Amino acid sequence: MARAVTPRRKLINTLVAWAIGLLIFFPILWIIVLSFKSEGDAIRTPIKVLTSAWTLDSYAVVQERSDYFKHFSNSVILAVGSTLLGVIVAVPAAWSMAFVPSDRTRGILMWMLSTKMLPAVGVLYPIYLLFIQLGILDTRIGLVMVLMLINLPIIVWMLYTYFREIPGEILEAARMDGASLREEVMYVLTPMAVPGIASTVLLNVILAWNEAFWTLNLTAAKAAPLTAFIASYSSPEGLFYAKLSAASVMAIAPILIMGWFSQKQLVRGLTFGAVK
Amino acid sequence: MSNRSQTLRPLGSWLEHHLPKVVLAPSFIAVLVFVYGFIGWTAWVSLTRSKLLPKYEIHGTIQYERLFAAPRWDVAMNNLFIFGGLFIVISMILGLILAILLDQNIRTEGAIRTIYLYPMALSMIVTGTAWKWILNPGLGIEATVRGWGFETFSFNWLVDPDMAIYTIVIAAIWQSSGFVMALFLAGLRSVDTEIIRAAQVDGIPTWRVYTAIIIPSMAPIFLSAFIVLSHLAVKSFDLVIALTGGGPGFASDLPATYMYAMAFSRGDIGQAASSAMVMMGVVFTIVVPYLYSELRAKND
Repeated sequence: MARAVTPRRKLINTLVAWAIGLLIFFPILWIIVLSFKSEGDAIRTPIKVLTSAWTLDSYAVVQERSDYFKHFSNSVILAVGSTLLGVIVAVPAAWSMAFVPSDRTRGILMWMLSTKMLPAVGVLYPIYLLFIQLGILDTRIGLVMVLMLINLPIIVWMLYTYFREIPGEILEAARMDGASLREEVMYVLTPMAVPGIASTVLLNVILAWNEAFWTLNLTAAKAAPLTAFIASYSSPEGLFYAKLSAASVMAIAPILIMGWFSQKQLVRGLTFGAVK
Repeated sequence: MSNRSQTLRPLGSWLEHHLPKVVLAPSFIAVLVFVYGFIGWTAWVSLTRSKLLPKYEIHGTIQYERLFAAPRWDVAMNNLFIFGGLFIVISMILGLILAILLDQNIRTEGAIRTIYLYPMALSMIVTGTAWKWILNPGLGIEATVRGWGFETFSFNWLVDPDMAIYTIVIAAIWQSSGFVMALFLAGLRSVDTEIIRAAQVDGIPTWRVYTAIIIPSMAPIFLSAFIVLSHLAVKSFDLVIALTGGGPGFASDLPATYMYAMAFSRGDIGQAASSAMVMMGVVFTIVVPYLYSELRAKND
């Protein structure tokens, strides 16, 4: 746009952008700071919080009192399981819509996406009852299914936008050369689709990792992932900021790190393909 | 066509011809049953006298009459309008300002973009911990400003029934501004650079270029951002749970937390179902016209 900017102006703009970035990052930074403080120091004024002694006690206590690694592994299983299952179901659907579009393709796509906009509360109670009847309340398998289903429209949509960028001529050329459908998918389409599938997976892992509505309502102790664990931690022990922060840091660290090393995919994924 | 298809057996050729539909079917059916099947159930139960357990005998609109007579629902709907209005407007303004800033050819744009988007990538249940500290009158902003010598300064919105909903607005804006920024930035980048260069050659000041050329041409993106933010507002749940738990009392309840309270702590399924249906109605009135116009535009 207005990109003819003088070097000095550019420097000022960069500094302003970083200052705002720090402001935005501050709450996250503050959780990290609090997690390394003792309970007593965590509830003093900000300056005193910063100048007080650093300690790892909170982390030790959180792990000791409530099995952090159990909830962590639940989170991993839910995020990875629901994502893999979703991608397996969605790849063929997205392939079909991107390469063999019909008059109704756009309609079906928008309809699928529209369901994602509906409030989840509308389907919560029947699913809750169904879970009780099937005996899968508070199990990982049940939650994997639900998380897969709620994110399926987004996975289909994301994959579709990526597949659309693959030129159809290449597939046609492969077909002309006598490649079977299986070979076409295996050797031509899949290698070209890997980056798209990768960022779809990243987005979906983040969504499933952060999912709080379903995990809070459909788990108790056994299958609870980190989000549900932290929500339970904050109600009876709401005033224990240091321990709560330690638990929180352990829950957000994987996303912060993964996001930093895959910035492009993160930005594109979180904006549902809008930002290339 | 290749000679391959002629050598295929009949089943094979049927499959090949119908494959696109066959592979689309699982996703289609999953979404159809999962969403509409269960919404149908909720709609049915909202017309019954279900209390602790669901009953299936239709009793008319009694649940809706109870719902609209309930003071707590009234608070939740009022909060939704306050929250939704402020959240959407302020997120869009901040998002636009940030997008224009990042569009000034700055250094390390990738890293800044990622940091701006972090709040959206993290669960509000978790980042709520920090906000509770910052907004806590004894610890965060209030204590800090008093520490600077302004002894009478007061910032107790988190525990003030009249102001608690605004703390949720603040946290929600923090979470979404970066996301809106990314949408707008993509929009700014897609504006035809020739027109802008021409305007600059003519000596039109930058701010005029933005207000007269760039921003008007981004109207579709404003609409998309509005749709995304407004349905997020109606669905907001974990934000309230993390920050105020709906309190003090039920002063910061939103429809989703009302429904949650009815279903799981009050044992009133009928109320839960009818409130879910009203929320669904709100989302439909926003989203359906948008989808309709979107489809019409693409088919023309």
